[in-house]
Amino acid sequence: MALWMETGSEPTTQSEKDDLEAIEALKHSTALELKENGNQYVKMGKKHYSDAIDCYTRAINQKVLSDSEQSILFSNRAHVNLLLGNYRRALMDAEEAIKLCPTNVKALYRAAKASLSLNLLVEVKSFCEKGLEHDPNNKELKKLAEEIDLRRLEHEQREAQVSRAVAGAKDLVSAIEDRGLKIGKAMFQELTGLRKPTLDNNNILHWPVLLLYAEVMSSDFIEDFCETDMFSAHLDMMFSDTCPPLPWDKENNYTRESIELYYEAGSGVCLSKSKLLRYLLDGTAASHVESIDVDEKDATEGLNYGISAGEGSKWVKVGEKRTLHDVLKEPNFIIPGIPVFYVVSKRSSFYKEFKAGKWVPPP
Amino acid sequence: MATEFEELIGFLSSPSPQITKAAVDIVRGLTGSEDGLKSLAHYANVVLPSLSRLLAGPKEVSEPAAEALVNLSQDTDLARKMVEMGMVKIAMEILYKPESGISKLLVMLLVNLTQLDAGIASLLQTEDEKMNGLYVMKLVRSFCRSSSETSDDPFEHVASILVNISKQEAARKLLLDPKRGLLKQIIRQFDSSSPLRKKGVSGTIRNCCFEAESQLPNLLLISEFLWPALLLPVAGNKIYNEKDTSKMPLEVGSALSIEREPVTDPEIQVQVLEAIYLITLQDAGRRAFWSVNGPRILQVGYEDEQDPKVMEAYERVGSLLVDNSGTEEPSTEKSN
Repeated sequence: MALWMETGSEPTTQSEKDDLEAIEALKHSTALELKENGNQYVKMGKKHYSDAIDCYTRAINQKVLSDSEQSILFSNRAHVNLLLGNYRRALMDAEEAIKLCPTNVKALYRAAKASLSLNLLVEVKSFCEKGLEHDPNNKELKKLAEEIDLRRLEHEQREAQVSRAVAGAKDLVSAIEDRGLKIGKAMFQELTGLRKPTLDNNNILHWPVLLLYAEVMSSDFIEDFCETDMFSAHLDMMFSDTCPPLPWDKENNYTRESIELYYEAGSGVCLSKSKLLRYLLDGTAASHVESIDVDEKDATEGLNYGISAGEGSKWVKVGEKRTLHDVLKEPNFIIPGIPVFYVVSKRSSFYKEFKAGKWVPPP
Repeated sequence: MATEFEELIGFLSSPSPQITKAAVDIVRGLTGSEDGLKSLAHYANVVLPSLSRLLAGPKEVSEPAAEALVNLSQDTDLARKMVEMGMVKIAMEILYKPESGISKLLVMLLVNLTQLDAGIASLLQTEDEKMNGLYVMKLVRSFCRSSSETSDDPFEHVASILVNISKQEAARKLLLDPKRGLLKQIIRQFDSSSPLRKKGVSGTIRNCCFEAESQLPNLLLISEFLWPALLLPVAGNKIYNEKDTSKMPLEVGSALSIEREPVTDPEIQVQVLEAIYLITLQDAGRRAFWSVNGPRILQVGYEDEQDPKVMEAYERVGSLLVDNSGTEEPSTEKSN
């Protein structure tokens, strides 16, 4: 029997040719048998999946089947790999199956599923589309395609939200820098929450402003104090004749004429540009973003301004006829996240103590 | 065979100082007449360079040369030629040489040259990234440091240069740039007694307000200087009562509580009203205008106004404010 032929030697006699034909036929039926066995193993459940893989692999290695049959083998192996969670291998097998037979819709479907698990959204879409070309009514492919579209849309919307939030925060940082304002660490966050300054469509800054009644440590908010507004206008509204007196002000000391506003001078450290950006992004869609491009060439990191709180803080009176911008840009004003102003009354006995510097805001 | 005229022009470059002196005096005389100007224009390619060289000389030749150039620059074509040959740079260099003695004339020359777009670009130094804006800054500084108190006020005409250049966006951006603070300095000149200076300030502010849409903060945030300059000329002549002034910022309120000189220049009034109009076209501008009690001031000022052009300008702002009223009061939401 001329089974082992030396390389380079061709079968010449008829009997040699016959032998080779016989071997081919044997291989062929072996391969088909292995494929059947593999299919059976899959039906038998999880415990037999690796056996199924084994069968398919051996069948593949016979290398005697036609392209379309070989394609089915790869596609079946892909299927089992999917069941086993071997997504990479499943994808490779499915792609091989597609190469051998581009109209193999099952293989295309399996390639799509594998890609989905690998989060290769673009590939999922393209496999689905190819599959639907050959089988336009394939429900599973359609479902997959729809799911991808939905996922993509959601992803894009999220990305858009995040980049809007980042752009908005960067604009705020620019506006703050252009005005030479100094922002320090936020204080009284239990009162201010996540309130932030905003820019209107004319690029004018609007600030939420916290008013603290030092005497009792009660608070009020001016939600929208435009930087070009004067303090007097807001105080006129808050302490107008039609407004009820403050509930804790039993002696009615806090009237429009008797109140004075102060800010704390030189207390704290200025935030660096990137810390400021982080602070402004806190509570927005982009609060989780890892790294943001920040041009730190004029870094004012950690500049410590003079007096720190508790060391006999300096109280600076606010002229009512001044605009918010005028006061905020004072060189000794470090804005604690958002502006905080302390309200006292000339008529109250607390006034003397306050003016003498004996009062310190509680931590 | 050179004509007499050609000889004369040739003498401008003569090595002998007496000859150049005589020649430049004659040329200066010629620039005083239409015919003379026409003849000289023919030989512009020789005359202009020769005259500009004489600018660097002693006052006895630089002064007539400068006068001649000022007269010649009133012609657009000649002005263009001057800009092309770098006259702006030459004028600036000599202007800032100590004791050049012809400052006023050089400034006037620049006024004429900045009537042209090319002249403005040349003065702004737009092509040179490092030097961009340096000439303008120097001129503004000179404008603001000198005053009409001195006998001849050499930098008075910078006022007109500023109005000219602010016709271009690049200049407006430069003037509005808060880091350079040029507009802030210029506005202070509004108190000057020189009508030319005053007009220059109001004209420049008005032009800059064309940037209100994109640069409103740069206008509004110098409010303590801006509002007095814009509101006092159109506040009429009466003394305002306390109810009205209490709603105004101090600079405006205190000025309107006392007797003051009546405003007499309708051109300035129209310009500031146009500036106010441009600012109040913007939401935030309107809001800021209301917050300084601006509409009340216009109301009072309008009562006494007689000049039809000025009245028209008041009315234009008025109707803009009426159309958009109801959204301007500062909103305060109290929350405990």
